[in-house]
Amino acid sequence: MGELAQATPIFLFIAKGVILLFLGIYIIFAVVVLRQIGLMTTTLKVGLEGTLKVFGYLHLILAIGLFLIALLLL
Amino acid sequence: MPDLFVAGGHHKSTHKMPPEDVLRKMPGHTRNPLSAYCYYPHNVEFFNKDSEEKIVLLLRRHPITNLQWIIIAVFMLLAPLALDVLPLLNFLPGNFQTVAIMLWYLLTLAFIFEQFLTWFFNVNIVTDERLFDVDFVNLLYREITDANLGNIEDVTVKIGSVIRTVFNYGDVLIQTAGEVPNIEFDAVPHPDQVAKILRGLSVEEEIERIEGRVR
Repeated sequence: MGELAQATPIFLFIAKGVILLFLGIYIIFAVVVLRQIGLMTTTLKVGLEGTLKVFGYLHLILAIGLFLIALLLL
Repeated sequence: MPDLFVAGGHHKSTHKMPPEDVLRKMPGHTRNPLSAYCYYPHNVEFFNKDSEEKIVLLLRRHPITNLQWIIIAVFMLLAPLALDVLPLLNFLPGNFQTVAIMLWYLLTLAFIFEQFLTWFFNVNIVTDERLFDVDFVNLLYREITDANLGNIEDVTVKIGSVIRTVFNYGDVLIQTAGEVPNIEFDAVPHPDQVAKILRGLSVEEEIERIEGRVR
């Protein structure tokens, strides 16, 4: 078996679009998670609310960061 | 007929919170917010709680029930290492490979976070007046069922497998007389102890009802 086939430019263009679209949707998902944490901590307070909210924001920042990285790298 | 006077009102609970030094020595009493079984938990508040209501038990699924998703998460974390053996992404340029791996780790993080939140917030609460089953089925769906302790008719404990017997956890099914469907505490630690506490509180509530104490 020889060299693996390389992706064509048109394939890479479509892949870039799909990845960016996916990451865009993922950012919305991260916002929903954050909103849900807010709702959950309103329903039940057990002393970890602050930590969970920090994790929620961190998750959102990572999602936005990866979107920007993908925008720059691809 | 004393019942006429209590209709619509809350019973005044005579349930006394044990003093702090007694609490510390009680089995199951802990300040750990990640505990799956907490007898007289500290700093716990929930939506709709009465100011005079005291939380007697806070329950979650036994931590061992998390093992399945933890194993999946470990495999997900290690999966990119397999790319050295199985070069599935080699047809892509380096920058695409980097983004794909970062995306994979982000998804893994989301999976772990979501599973943890589901475990952490799916709780069962027993107060001196009522019992609650809080279910966050998914990100968008929340279900809270509550029933008065006075409506408890029957408490059934189900421990049905080797792993449940070894780790002493099981389901507690509470049949109620009200319109509320039966409440089930799933996979909670020390189910026999939970049932015993529920029966005790139910009897206390019944005595209060007979004596006609109202809040």
